[in-house]
Amino acid sequence: MILLVAIVFIISVGAFYLIHLLPGDPAVVILGTGASPANAAKLNAQLGLNKPIIEQYFVWIRNVLHGNLGTSFISQTTVWSTIKSAFPIDFEIIVLSQILAFATAIPIAMRSARKPDGPLDRLLGAGSFTLLSVPSFVLIVLLVLFVAIKLGVPHTGVSSYVALGTDWITNLESLALPAFTLGIGSFVVYYRVLRSDLIATLQEEFITMARSKGIGQRRIMWRHALRPSSVSLLGTAGVNIGGLLAGGFIVEYLLSIPGLGYMLIQSIGTSDYLVVQGIVLVVSVTVILINFGFDLLVNIIDPRISRE
Amino acid sequence: MSSSLYVNEAVEEAVQHARPERKKLGVLFWICVGWLALNLFGAIFANVLPLPNPLFQNYAAINAGPSLHHLLGTDDLGRDIFARIVYGSRVSIEVSLGSMLIGFGIGAPLGMLAAYRRGKFDAILSAIMYCFLAFPAIIATIAVLSFWTPRSLFKIIVVVGVASIPLVYRVIRSATLSCSTKDYVLAAKVQGASDGRILMKELLPNIAPIGVSFLLIGIATVVTLEGALAFLGLSVSPPTPSWGNMINESLAILQQNPWLAIFPSAAMCLFLLCLNFIGDRLRSHFEVSEVKL
Amino acid sequence: MNEAKLLVVRDLTTTFHTPTGPLRAVGGVSFDLEQNETLGIVGESGAGKTVLARTIMGLQPRTNVEVSGSVLLNGFEVVGASEKQKRSIWGLQVAMVFQDPMTSLNPVMRVGKQIDEVLRVRLGMDRHAAKARAIELLELVGIPSPAERYCVFPGELSGGMRQRVVIATALAGSPQLLMADEPTTGLDVTIQAQILNLLDELKGRLRMSVVLVTHDLGVVATRSSRIIVLYAGRIVEIGSTRDVFARHRMPYTRALLEGSPKISNPSHTRLLAIPGRPPNLANLPRGCAFAPRCSYASDRCREERPELEPADEVGHAFACWHPLPLTQKIPA
Repeated sequence: MILLVAIVFIISVGAFYLIHLLPGDPAVVILGTGASPANAAKLNAQLGLNKPIIEQYFVWIRNVLHGNLGTSFISQTTVWSTIKSAFPIDFEIIVLSQILAFATAIPIAMRSARKPDGPLDRLLGAGSFTLLSVPSFVLIVLLVLFVAIKLGVPHTGVSSYVALGTDWITNLESLALPAFTLGIGSFVVYYRVLRSDLIATLQEEFITMARSKGIGQRRIMWRHALRPSSVSLLGTAGVNIGGLLAGGFIVEYLLSIPGLGYMLIQSIGTSDYLVVQGIVLVVSVTVILINFGFDLLVNIIDPRISRE
Repeated sequence: MSSSLYVNEAVEEAVQHARPERKKLGVLFWICVGWLALNLFGAIFANVLPLPNPLFQNYAAINAGPSLHHLLGTDDLGRDIFARIVYGSRVSIEVSLGSMLIGFGIGAPLGMLAAYRRGKFDAILSAIMYCFLAFPAIIATIAVLSFWTPRSLFKIIVVVGVASIPLVYRVIRSATLSCSTKDYVLAAKVQGASDGRILMKELLPNIAPIGVSFLLIGIATVVTLEGALAFLGLSVSPPTPSWGNMINESLAILQQNPWLAIFPSAAMCLFLLCLNFIGDRLRSHFEVSEVKL
Repeated sequence: MNEAKLLVVRDLTTTFHTPTGPLRAVGGVSFDLEQNETLGIVGESGAGKTVLARTIMGLQPRTNVEVSGSVLLNGFEVVGASEKQKRSIWGLQVAMVFQDPMTSLNPVMRVGKQIDEVLRVRLGMDRHAAKARAIELLELVGIPSPAERYCVFPGELSGGMRQRVVIATALAGSPQLLMADEPTTGLDVTIQAQILNLLDELKGRLRMSVVLVTHDLGVVATRSSRIIVLYAGRIVEIGSTRDVFARHRMPYTRALLEGSPKISNPSHTRLLAIPGRPPNLANLPRGCAFAPRCSYASDRCREERPELEPADEVGHAFACWHPLPLTQKIPA
């Protein structure tokens, strides 16, 4: 617990200092590059940016702990509202991609594990290995090329994203491409991990015992083999999802989807410090919570671990 | 479905009587090495190879498809794609090798020393490194590169290299830790070998496979990273060709010119595929367990 | 007595196809088993006992294994049956108790659920009836507080308790034949006797036949009515327990008997280990497999493999060119 807090604290410091150490002046951005130094200085004073760095940090942290992430200099909207509008998009993309990934990886890995080195297994092995070497942005470009253009499926843009509440069909359509892209990447990783774990588990004696009770293949797979094999899978999923948050940013940016990644990159470009700090903090905390959550999940699935 | 418990000792004995075979590297392995060597060759000797000028804009042949004249076609400014890919490999190779040089050059010795010495040195150094690790590296890289203008290949190498130091440190340190508790190290110590000798003769050869494995992963990661950075406009400035830049540019003109999207992507993916394959084969050849990143 | 035999095994042979060539783990085994009978199968490690037990049940691995001969269980032919067909008898007519309770129970599944799985899945019992029966079984195998123990995980139990759970699981479907593969080898000596007594008792109560596979002659001495002595995958002696103990003819059997510690021996009596090692099943010698280690071996033994010959007593047979004379007895 304490470790978590410590890490978050360090990250907040890091985020803050990093942004502030870099050249880039919000005042100039706001007033335009032709602004006179005097005006810029005045604006900086107004924004509290001329105080010593450490003081600025504490001002910020105190605000954060009170739930106030600040207001963007540039857009004049609160950081929190920006994050609030952007976060659900990332959340949805990730959820959709993971549903896709798990729903395909689990049954297919089971098929492969039943006949290791069979034709299906080899094909999938080679295919997944190849896909591992394809970066997400390449995948996006290729997908956009073949799906959107050749097949004429409308793809995404800031304008075409629609919130879930209003029109769920368009919503799903607009997020289909990023979800699919991230889903494939996740599928490949999960498939490989689960397959090798399943193969190892299937060699255990208790599987033979279940077999000797006359239990059918399907039940053995789902009820007996899957659970012990899930430990690595969940561990991988935790790390993977954490990485998706960062990795998904590129995909978002490419497709102009107004998620956190898009916002982050925009605000870096405009030296919008508070937004950058806020997003970095929120993302880091989320990643940590996700990892923590997966650790808990692993403990439930496999009671052996908590006993050790 | 076989169970090793079931096939009893006699069977195992019988199998053991046959000569134990080390997993062969195989033809495919060498093909991949060859491909990488080809890329390297192209990158080094690009200037002397009979390639069209990668910067020359031939307005007579915009978005042309593959032909005898332009082996892989041209982009929207009439520049030869093939030539740009070969020159672009320079960027990928230089960035990946350069940053790995920094990362391993600094991170590896520190990791080994910290794991070997332990004590305060290790505690402090590791604490610092883990702090850096906690921070999302990609965001830091993006931020720094956005502000540190004007961009140059050198700056990219430095930033990525420095960012990779904590990662290399962690991997090498944990590998050294697990090796240094093994018996042969204790045996050497008891025999009075000096620290330096132990590090060089006993530990290094055993850490090397893991190090090489991670090195290959690192190169692949950096090549991918360059591509990602290019999409954010943070890779080398145009008109310098790089694989990432080209793929990025292709996005805008996908309808008119699929070749700019396909060929650089293929070049990058083949490069990565060969790297991954070689890493995988080496791992199973030396039976190195999967490196925890 | 024309009661149909429970188990009829004829010329059962199991061959593994390994990368280095075929390996015959079980060769030409034939025997019968009646209802309510206990048969002991003894031999050293590596003699093929486990392979035999699993092949009888049909539980051998599916790849690279070849089985020939016939195993008739209640008229059902196991050899050559498909997995689906075999599943119809597994758990309900024949069940197995495995050697190592640590690994034969699913570590992430509650003990009770593993016991009543057969009832729910194979017999279609509903959850509550199955649970009740499982608790009964837990009590039957001597586990205290069975209702509470229903929900525990295998890791929370001691070795002896776990093996009892394994037995309960095997008995759930009320099988007529129980294959017990070294059921006590992994356990403490003190627990071993308890488990064996339990099996004895259950056999009587539930009217089951038991095939008891072990390397320890002491285990089968009082608990089985007949014994098979296995060497290098072949039967070298078969007969009633009494015959095998007191009137054995095959030197290997003698060596096994002399090798087991006896309470009546004076203290510090040396255990006679059989010199040499069990043969490599992939590279069996011509002739009798035991010849290299046998003090009575002659040239004929090394050239020609002896077949099973009936002895004077009914149901007793041995495979040896120089059977031991009947007058020699070992002290009881």
